[in-house]
Amino acid sequence: MRKFRQLTIPYLIWALVMLLIPMALILMYSFLEPGNSIVHFRISLDNYFRFFTDKDFLVILWRSLLIALKTTIICLLLGYPIAYFISRCNEKLQGILIMAITVPMWINMLVRTYAWIGILSKGGLASWVLSLFGIKDAELLYTETAVLIGMVYNFLPFMILQINTVLSKMDKSLLEASADLGADKFQTFWRVVFPLSLPGVVSGITLVFLPAVSAFFIPKLLGGGQYFLIGNVIENQFITVGEWNFGSSISMIMAIVMMLLMMLVRKLDKKSGREDM
Amino acid sequence: MDQEKKKIIQFKNIVKKFDDQIILKGINLDIYENEFVTLLGPSGCGKTTLLRILGGFLEPDKGEVIFDGKDIAKLPPYKRELNTVFQKYALFPNMNVFDNIAFGLKIKKMSKDVIEQKVMKMLKLIGLEGYENKDVTLMSGGQQQRVAIARALVNEPSVLLLDEPLGALDLKLRKEMQYELKRIQQEVGITFIFVTHDQEEALTMSDKIVVMKEGEIQQVGSPQDIYNEPVNKYVAEFVGESNIIPGRMIQDKLVRFDDHNFECVDVGYKENELVDVIIRPEDIDIVPEGQGKLSGTVESVLFKGVHYEVMVETVPGTHVTVNMHVNRDNANVKEEGDVRISANDFYLDIEDMKNWDESDLIARADAQAWSKETDEYFPIQRVDTDLKDEIGEYEVTFHTVNGLSISRRIWVVDQKVVENKKANEAVSAFNFFKTVDEIKESPALDTELKTWANAQGWKLDDESETVDLSVDYNFDPEHIKEGIYKVTFWTTGREFKIHTTDYVEEGKEVGLTFFPEDIHVMEKMGF
Amino acid sequence: MQTKEKRIFGKIFMALAIIFFYLPIVFMVVFSFNDSKSLTVFTGFSLRWYETMLKNHSMMESLYVTLIIAVVATVVSTIIGTITAIGMVYSKKWVKRFIQQVNDLPMMNPEIVTAIGLMLLFITFRIERGFTTLLLAHIAFCIPYVMLSVMPKLRSLDPNLADAAMDLGATPWQALTKVIVPQIMPGIVSGALIAFTMSFDDFIISYFTTGQGVKNLSIMVYTMSKRVNPSINAISTLVVVFITIGLLLANIVPIIREKTKKKSQQQDGTFQKRMGKGPKMVIGLLVIVLAISLFSYKKAAEDNKPFVGQTLHVYNWGEYVGENFVSGFEEQTGAKLVMDNFESNEQMYIKVANNESYDILVPSDYMIQRLIQEDLLQPLDKNRIQASLDLLDPNVLDKPFDPGNEYSVPYFWGSVGIVYDKRKVDIEDLEKEGFNIFLDPKYKGDIYLYDSERDSFMMALKALGYSMNTENPEEINDAYNWLLQCVQTMKPEIVTDEIIDNMAQGRKALGLVYSGDATYIMTENENMGYFMPTQGSNLWSDGMVIPKNAQNVDLAYEFINYTCQYEAAYDNSSYVGYTASNMEAQDELAEGEFAGIDSYVPRSGNPKDEVFTYNENTRKTFADLWSRIKVAASNAAD
Repeated sequence: MRKFRQLTIPYLIWALVMLLIPMALILMYSFLEPGNSIVHFRISLDNYFRFFTDKDFLVILWRSLLIALKTTIICLLLGYPIAYFISRCNEKLQGILIMAITVPMWINMLVRTYAWIGILSKGGLASWVLSLFGIKDAELLYTETAVLIGMVYNFLPFMILQINTVLSKMDKSLLEASADLGADKFQTFWRVVFPLSLPGVVSGITLVFLPAVSAFFIPKLLGGGQYFLIGNVIENQFITVGEWNFGSSISMIMAIVMMLLMMLVRKLDKKSGREDM
Repeated sequence: MDQEKKKIIQFKNIVKKFDDQIILKGINLDIYENEFVTLLGPSGCGKTTLLRILGGFLEPDKGEVIFDGKDIAKLPPYKRELNTVFQKYALFPNMNVFDNIAFGLKIKKMSKDVIEQKVMKMLKLIGLEGYENKDVTLMSGGQQQRVAIARALVNEPSVLLLDEPLGALDLKLRKEMQYELKRIQQEVGITFIFVTHDQEEALTMSDKIVVMKEGEIQQVGSPQDIYNEPVNKYVAEFVGESNIIPGRMIQDKLVRFDDHNFECVDVGYKENELVDVIIRPEDIDIVPEGQGKLSGTVESVLFKGVHYEVMVETVPGTHVTVNMHVNRDNANVKEEGDVRISANDFYLDIEDMKNWDESDLIARADAQAWSKETDEYFPIQRVDTDLKDEIGEYEVTFHTVNGLSISRRIWVVDQKVVENKKANEAVSAFNFFKTVDEIKESPALDTELKTWANAQGWKLDDESETVDLSVDYNFDPEHIKEGIYKVTFWTTGREFKIHTTDYVEEGKEVGLTFFPEDIHVMEKMGF
Repeated sequence: MQTKEKRIFGKIFMALAIIFFYLPIVFMVVFSFNDSKSLTVFTGFSLRWYETMLKNHSMMESLYVTLIIAVVATVVSTIIGTITAIGMVYSKKWVKRFIQQVNDLPMMNPEIVTAIGLMLLFITFRIERGFTTLLLAHIAFCIPYVMLSVMPKLRSLDPNLADAAMDLGATPWQALTKVIVPQIMPGIVSGALIAFTMSFDDFIISYFTTGQGVKNLSIMVYTMSKRVNPSINAISTLVVVFITIGLLLANIVPIIREKTKKKSQQQDGTFQKRMGKGPKMVIGLLVIVLAISLFSYKKAAEDNKPFVGQTLHVYNWGEYVGENFVSGFEEQTGAKLVMDNFESNEQMYIKVANNESYDILVPSDYMIQRLIQEDLLQPLDKNRIQASLDLLDPNVLDKPFDPGNEYSVPYFWGSVGIVYDKRKVDIEDLEKEGFNIFLDPKYKGDIYLYDSERDSFMMALKALGYSMNTENPEEINDAYNWLLQCVQTMKPEIVTDEIIDNMAQGRKALGLVYSGDATYIMTENENMGYFMPTQGSNLWSDGMVIPKNAQNVDLAYEFINYTCQYEAAYDNSSYVGYTASNMEAQDELAEGEFAGIDSYVPRSGNPKDEVFTYNENTRKTFADLWSRIKVAASNAAD
């Protein structure tokens, strides 16, 4: 159907303008002289040089990756059992539970994060719960723990949904085959179920890690002003400092780091589990 | 107990229900060592359920599964010394051929050398040497099949369960795998329990066939037994091709069907017991007319490769043809305000004129009145007619409560009855009137045509016994227009299917012959 | 077979997960009915936050904007995405690969990168950011998700389907709409749902691509959430209610329809059957949109006021107006007032310098000076404002940054000082150490710094005895080291407006604050005091200015005059706590509501108190050094 080919033309143009050129612009700005006007065109590596020579920026980048990693691991550890539990329920219950996990996502992320301020602040619900366990006067708000809670809260549903999709689609006869060949529940899980669910785990990791690295409103709302992640640095450069060229170069660095990490994760997936889309 | 024939598995009164539906109704079955047993039956007969109970994937609601003298009904699958080859193989897509086959051995924590040795042996057995590092998802169906078998066999189970393993393969591969499976079974010398709905597969491979239907075992026996001595019509029809004729046992070794007595070898039936008689197509010979036990006309000849499939009609069918008058849509509808009334012209048999009442006329004319808006029906309040007990044309008028009426014609005729002495049957039908829409919108036209024409067939010697009718017409119901169309109602006579290597011409009169031992008498199935 | 114990463990775990997911939502709903401002103690049932929310039309409008954007973006992106996906199936390999790679950009990149790319696009091509750019951006990031969900369905489609349809006489268009689209409908519907969710929930991309005061819910929450504001809970509850209604509609309507269908079966069942799941969702959404638009546009334009139908765009500090200020202005003029908030002068400057058009800005002294220098402001027509200027405190008029008030009219004014908890801080320490108390290890972990490069350096320079307008690099470097020492050894929290509520609750002992915030804190908590070190401090004032590119100058003058009046000034000052520039309002508040609160009336007579002046070089240095200090602070927290 040659005629249908033309259907892609509008989008090709659109994608060029709205997706490609913006990326090209970031790249361009990142190589221009520092300063927020594009009047003097002078290509330089100054912005990158500045980032990589300042230990503090590198520390922040490292911290952003670290907290994203922590978030991802917690989401995986919590999300996998939940997704597994859901996939073992009957179809009706599965539908209800999936719905229950999806619905909060329709309520604005910021709004939900904002709600945590009240829960985590001094004298709030969280410190009351902690005091039951004998931990008195715990400072939760404006700590890394708070940021971590906020991130897990926001991104856990992605992990659950991704893993659950793969698990619930899994051919039940594979489990039977494994049991038939002498593997008990535990062995079946580790040798068959888990490796086969890796594609879901990988896309879950992607969907959690990616926004967690670049998140800036969660640290800002729950971590306080002095808790800086790379996303805050970028926001700060664009909104307050106005050094777009430097901001662009940080964005570029982040994009590249993420791309490399995602390639790595996908490679891991190809090695152990397979099942292309 | 015979040394060779040691019982390895016993099912004792297995009952299984799914949501109040009984899938297995008390199965009792013994399976012996080194047997190739096939569970044969159509889908939904419970064969796979039985296999899954044996494999441990389902628990029976009642009954015992004795394996090597122990009840294993409640044992989880991974503790059973049986292995299964699954319907779609269920190979682990994340492992290569070697790892798939080695799975069970790794679970048993065998040493690497042993595993390697055993897997290689298996690969040799299934003829896939050198494929150990292949990606299973990229293999052909037949190869996957072999890997699945190897994966099961490498654990050296005493019984291998195979759940319709050849279902996904094409015909040629399937035949190949049938031999392959049989060869493997003979080579490893263990019991195979094989589930299939394909009777040919069952006949080819099995030592023993278990024919199942609706959760019950119909017959257990060797392929020869099942084929030659089916216990009932169901088994006979399911296994192989056959001519099945209702008959009556006159005495031992003498059976009567199609108005002839035939010698046979079956004994033990009551006198005059109604039975089913089966004659396999290949057991009938075609001989010149007059020389056989039966005679008839060759209806069709199909070349089947090795043989011809010849259909011979020994008893002709009966035909009656009537006219269908198709009217414009609104010809028989009248409306006034919100009310509509409709009725058809119709024919009546002079013989039925003795005691009719209004409701008969309403029914035959299909008279109806209804509200245009709400679709609510109104009763027909009054019927006026000058109908008399004579052949002729009359008028009938139907009135509704609202005063709306419609007039139609009735023709009283001496109805055609076609009698067929040879077949001992008669058929009758009426001409009838319908509208274009009624025909277009009919959900089951064949059945409705019979109703509209009041078509009936019956036995001449016993009028209460009805004969099934078929319908033929040459119009396209989707695009029918006004006019008169011929509709033919007919009965099938008796046809025999014969497999022969000699060619006969269509239309030729021939004789049919068979030996007494080719006649198999079976009990009538109870329903 | 699963053992029972395991199942129980799983169930408990699942229940905890559900609690975790719904706890904040329940919390939000409960506290939206709280009588007080507290987010931790429920003091009684009240609907006051709902009143505040309904009065605040920018809040209601943000809800409306969110929904309109989400609905339009969903519809457009679903159509384009589906059409493109279909075209792709029949396209050459390189086209397919190209589109897939390009689609990966927004999906595989951190969202902030996409956002910045789009922002740079709009700025570079001089497209004014606002509703349209917001919509375009949403469509741009939604399309790839729609395609991602449609593609698998298309791939599993028989490739000969379209050919078969055309073989049977269908035109290509018919083949598309009658055969292909119905086949891939489930994919399209789920794609549309994903697009809606993404758009409805989006913050980062919206934040960077919007302008002209167009805010969606996320941006609204982000800019408002610096201070405790339970009306956010109220509006969130409203969203929860809408979603619940939508869900109920989507689930109950089919049941009702099933019932009516049974009744009408004899008549005509076919029409009903055609209505699949997709239309159901669409209907639900439309109902929600209608409901909200009714909510937010209940007031029609009022007649015979001078500025009916016009809109004034004001760019002001967050939490800088009284409760009735906006409605009062709108009442008087008939115009609509759209107020955007900024957190710092620098943030405001960047937007203005990038040509975003506002009619009124409220920058601080040195920033006014800068804007004048860079020729971004209109000189004011004295005839139109003289009457208003006469009402103001002479202390704030005719300041060096704008001699003769050629460009600006004072709004609020005040000083910068230390707010402290009298129970925790020894007043002698304060008197002895002044600003150096922020280096006193006694108060480690118990201090707030304010996230402002100017005032932080002011504090450091004053602590060291220098002028805060110094250009001496050595002095600046000393100040940098002073601050560095502070963030590295004292574990301060660097905050903006959060400090107000936090100090009011007594969370920390010390904080650097503006006098107006101190006033508010002290009225809320009597244990708090305000101290101005003798080392000197910043005497500041914020003024209203009209930028060169203002679009509604007349209305801007109207705004200036309105603000200078006693009523408006009193309302603003008493609500916010900053010192009113209107003399009468100032006097009245100083003797009345804020009597005894020394922060309300700025100190005069200390020769070391200064007013900021603008200097391009030091500005850059301060900005750069401050961002380093923040980074260092962030790293020291580990």
